[in-house]
Amino acid sequence: MRQRTPEEYTYMLNVLDKAESGPIIDQKEFDNICIHSKIKQLVDKYDIHFEKEKSVPADERLADRLFLAGMELALETGVYCIDTQRQMRWNADELDWIIKCTPSTEVLGSGKDSVTILKRRPGDTIRVSVVGGPSGIPVPEDLFESIMLSYAQEPLIDIIDDASLLRTHGRPIRAGSPWEVVGCWQEAKMIFKVLERANRPGLAIGCAENAPTALGEIATTTYGGFRLTDWHHNALISELKTTYSELIRAIQYTQIGCRSHGFYNPIYGGYAGGHEGVSIAIVGGLILMRACYGATTMNAGPSHPHLSCDTHPDLLPAQALAFQALSRNTNLLIANFIRPVAGPCTKDILYEVAALTIASVASGISLVEGVQSARGINSAHCSGLEARFAAQVAHSCEGMTPADANLIVRSLVSKYANRQKELQKGKSFLDIYNLDLVQPTDEWRDVYEAVAQELHTEYGLLLED
Amino acid sequence: MPETNWNVIQNDFLQALLASNQVEAFQITRRVLSDNVSMIEFFDRCITPSLEEIGARFENLDIFLPEMVEAASIVENINREIIQPEIQKTVHDSDPANRLLPLGRVLLATVQGDLHDIGKNIVATMLKVNRFEVIDAGTNVTAQNIIAKARREEAKIIGLSALLTTTLPYMKDVVDLLVGLGLRDKFAVIVGGAAVTPEFAKEIGADGYGRTAADAIQVCKTVLGIIVAGG
Repeated sequence: MRQRTPEEYTYMLNVLDKAESGPIIDQKEFDNICIHSKIKQLVDKYDIHFEKEKSVPADERLADRLFLAGMELALETGVYCIDTQRQMRWNADELDWIIKCTPSTEVLGSGKDSVTILKRRPGDTIRVSVVGGPSGIPVPEDLFESIMLSYAQEPLIDIIDDASLLRTHGRPIRAGSPWEVVGCWQEAKMIFKVLERANRPGLAIGCAENAPTALGEIATTTYGGFRLTDWHHNALISELKTTYSELIRAIQYTQIGCRSHGFYNPIYGGYAGGHEGVSIAIVGGLILMRACYGATTMNAGPSHPHLSCDTHPDLLPAQALAFQALSRNTNLLIANFIRPVAGPCTKDILYEVAALTIASVASGISLVEGVQSARGINSAHCSGLEARFAAQVAHSCEGMTPADANLIVRSLVSKYANRQKELQKGKSFLDIYNLDLVQPTDEWRDVYEAVAQELHTEYGLLLED
Repeated sequence: MPETNWNVIQNDFLQALLASNQVEAFQITRRVLSDNVSMIEFFDRCITPSLEEIGARFENLDIFLPEMVEAASIVENINREIIQPEIQKTVHDSDPANRLLPLGRVLLATVQGDLHDIGKNIVATMLKVNRFEVIDAGTNVTAQNIIAKARREEAKIIGLSALLTTTLPYMKDVVDLLVGLGLRDKFAVIVGGAAVTPEFAKEIGADGYGRTAADAIQVCKTVLGIIVAGG
């Protein structure tokens, strides 16, 4: 079991100090000046220009300039603490130290079910790790175990990320209320049963998905609940904001030695601006999650303002380039977060998954995370099969360069881009899996096999079993 | 005023808004209105098409939220400082200028437990550019505070946003509390945000649901009876 060092704990106390002593600033001023104006200025200063039509940029100098732009954003903007209305700032020495001491590996899970996440670079042949799960898609209580088993039974999935419960013991789950704790405990109890059924008791769990505040997380990371070897979450709110609740999680994780994962979803067309601004926000945001939370893995899932996805053609190069910037210049263990528009039992979900996965793996991410199907909002519209597909595609393109990935991703984008506005939510788990066997129906399997065959014949990608 | 001039004026006004140039936008407004042009004509031929263009550009992501917010803010200032004082001085109930008055006051809030505000900010701006008065109550607001503020501000519509499924119950609280306090008929309640579905809106007894900011405008107009549902 890895223990946090006294130095790490002291550092986190200093982080908490920043939330109490940083300059006071109005939130609107932070949004408009520290985020929007600053990012616009950085786009020009570092010449961060790339064509939206190029799905996976392959310009190393541009990637390195983007890294510098992201570092400058982290340095000058920092993180806004909503509770104290203060700007938490890190100086250059602190950021350099943070980057320098970032571990290049992380072990999640335990025993035979553990996985070691490895730092990768663009075009690397090193095996990418895979997080599979609905990542917070709401599901009814009576379907939770079957749905989660559909992921846990997939051998290519290295870490499992929970669904959220629509209700707990028939009651609504209210953020910050006792019902949040009840919901998180129910999530823990049910997912452990799932791991037993899958014979993977040590598999790391992304948790707690029913904890919008620190309450549910802290209450259930204890005896009989979630374990230190699980994958505990910390979020930056868009754009670059935190709360006491998130800082409570961070200090708790540091104190008890939890594995901590940060996630951040910049809004395309919001204060970060367009695709170029979003790429800077991703780089700055992922560095700041290491700085603010001590996260050892972190993902970005930028959101399209009208479609709520990150597979829109404009967002693919922003993510790919940001991942290249970070993987070329740091040891951060970075992840994507696959949130397609389309839902299960459609061909489009698989095209979207493949496009973002190939763009990201070729750009040097260490973890593929997904799939938050059908934009993550439709109850029970998720299944293990799309996560299996993401894992297979990820492994099939290890060693692929960004330039080669670009050709494939552009072709995939042309297959789905025009239909994204239709918001095809696909089918519910109830309609696409046999609940007794927890296996996909013939209909869903046929769709999957047809697209897998397309990837093989059109792009030469061979999906491993 | 000749037709060609309106095209030039509208384009100049639009460019001033896109450049966040409040001084220029005010100058154009004062210049045009001093030329015996009615406020209705100015609104119809300059402000409305400019705002429609800005809304369309945001829909296409040719401009971004901060630019749209700034443009809306300039128009709000022009409306408050130039147009409304004139209307208040001169209009009678039957006066066509009445249609330049705000369509209604909307109180927007992200419900308790939820700190996400960008979606709400987009809706606020789109409503403002469509002549609604918007009171932004902020994020993480309790049902009690939402209702108290709506009463104090004499809002006609309460608009609620939630990104997290675990904060949806707090939307229902607002409706339940309005019923319990005997205030349900005083406010229309509309809901939206990533976690909200049309089914949920119906289940809690909301008066309207919008998936996008553009939907929110239609829903507000519908609940106020300005347009018929689906119109």
